[in-house]
Amino acid sequence: MKALISRFAASGVLMIWGVILVYFKLSGRVASYLHPSFHLFILISGIILILLSAVLLLTLPEASPADGYSSRGFFSGGALSFLVLTIPLLASTGISQSRFGVTALMNRGLVDNISGLPGFTPPVDPALPRQDGSVGEGTLMDPSAYLKKNAEGFIKAETVDLLYAATDAPMRSDFENKDVEIIGQFMPARTRNPAGNRFNLVRLFMMCCAADARPVALTVQTATPIDFPEMTWVKVVGKATFPVEGGRHTPVVMAQSVKETEPPRESFIY
Amino acid sequence: MNSWFSFSLPDFCYAFLSVLLEGVPFILLGTLLSGLIDQFLPSRVMTRFLPRNKFLGICASAVLGLVFPMCECGIVPVIRRLIAKGLPVSNGVAYMLAAPIVNPITAISTYAAFRGQGAMEFTALRLGLGFFVSVIVGLAVHNLSVGKVLKKDVLETIMLSGDSSAAGGSQPLGRRFVAAMESGIRDFLDVMVYFIIGAGVASVFGTALNHEVLLPLSLKDWIAVPSMMGLAGLLALCSSSDAFIAATFVTFPAVAKLAFLVFGPMMDLKLLFIYSAVFTRKFVVCLALGLFVLIGLLCLRLSVIGL
Repeated sequence: MKALISRFAASGVLMIWGVILVYFKLSGRVASYLHPSFHLFILISGIILILLSAVLLLTLPEASPADGYSSRGFFSGGALSFLVLTIPLLASTGISQSRFGVTALMNRGLVDNISGLPGFTPPVDPALPRQDGSVGEGTLMDPSAYLKKNAEGFIKAETVDLLYAATDAPMRSDFENKDVEIIGQFMPARTRNPAGNRFNLVRLFMMCCAADARPVALTVQTATPIDFPEMTWVKVVGKATFPVEGGRHTPVVMAQSVKETEPPRESFIY
Repeated sequence: MNSWFSFSLPDFCYAFLSVLLEGVPFILLGTLLSGLIDQFLPSRVMTRFLPRNKFLGICASAVLGLVFPMCECGIVPVIRRLIAKGLPVSNGVAYMLAAPIVNPITAISTYAAFRGQGAMEFTALRLGLGFFVSVIVGLAVHNLSVGKVLKKDVLETIMLSGDSSAAGGSQPLGRRFVAAMESGIRDFLDVMVYFIIGAGVASVFGTALNHEVLLPLSLKDWIAVPSMMGLAGLLALCSSSDAFIAATFVTFPAVAKLAFLVFGPMMDLKLLFIYSAVFTRKFVVCLALGLFVLIGLLCLRLSVIGL
């Protein structure tokens, strides 16, 4: 009897895990938790766990005290193990809002210098100009290859683009005094804000999963102080500048407009 | 500066779930493999192909994990069985310490976790250091009498046991597959219990603790290295997924994360108890202290050469 209960409980645990993994993948919720390269693993693992659960149920008649495996049971810790395996997963799935709040972000500290992102590399290595000095199309030397523009002709940039540009003179010249459009989450600036007209535009930079994500912050300066609820998604349109502050070039967007906007499809940058 | 500790349940659940989702595929793969090995690999095979030279034999044992991967939770029963079937204790200890690190699952997960942070170099260093430490400990155990290493009842089992084939060898193939699956599921459920607890502790650390207060620990290698080894011992994570948690300690130097990833799979709170099922208490304590000092010194040495 104990062997049967143990097998049934193990099957239940596997089914719960399998269904939740498949749910995360099929609902698209996994995108808020993992780097895209892991998404398929989640689906495959979920399906395997569901199959294993089914096999355990189908072989229930084989579970007998004489069976060396079944008689030992599946849970070395008994009912406590069963609870540990199920309750935290189910509770977290229900409670998690699939995004970090202000508390976690502030505890992690905002990264406003590209050197604070160990995993960050520029998307394309710079290519050399041709022998005659002209710039090859589709290379990083050709700014049109990576400086995508919106309908109004503003460069659609990411926070990390400007942080990286601040440390790289050729890239800085591609952005300096150009009109840019950037989306991010509003966070009040608690430092380097003497006039009170600056705020941080934050995006989370993910290496593998949300647990290792770092909040990347870009300074935005407005003509007059503005306020939004913390973590509101906003679209900033303005001019990219790189004044020297604290002994280094610091990206500051001189905003022409700041409007609340829908979160982007990919809330993380990779 | 904000308060040193400010807990938010939704933030905790978010980080906790992301660690679970990231680790589960690797744990599942590892435990399914271990189930197949458990049922289909006769232990005689491992002893037959080991070199007779003691040093080479220990080195070969330390890389067996590349062919026969096992996680640290499941390896102790295997070692106990292999020792009972004639595998020298020194070889068994070398395999036991190295296999959770020097195996393809751990290599892949370490590479994935440290992508963008020198993944190839970090993976090679982890496996290399794990191999080196295991060989050193294996050679040290070779110079000890078996009675000082193994518990009395294990020793008696060795005296009494005869050679036998792998478990389930005489059973039909279908039944052995089912047994392999059951063995894998049992490993999966056992490991997941520890993984869930470890992920929970790590998620509290990652979301509620103000990282500014850890800066003093991470600034100096000689403090960061033992601190991270101590943390690895407390968290008791599975080697197939611990790299994902180590990668989140972005403020700590690489050598401290390396120490975390080499020491953790060899010795932690749960392993202290599991090892005690086979080895004498004195040996387990000495092993824990020895590993702490050896890995700590090696990692600090690596920091000198610029890692």
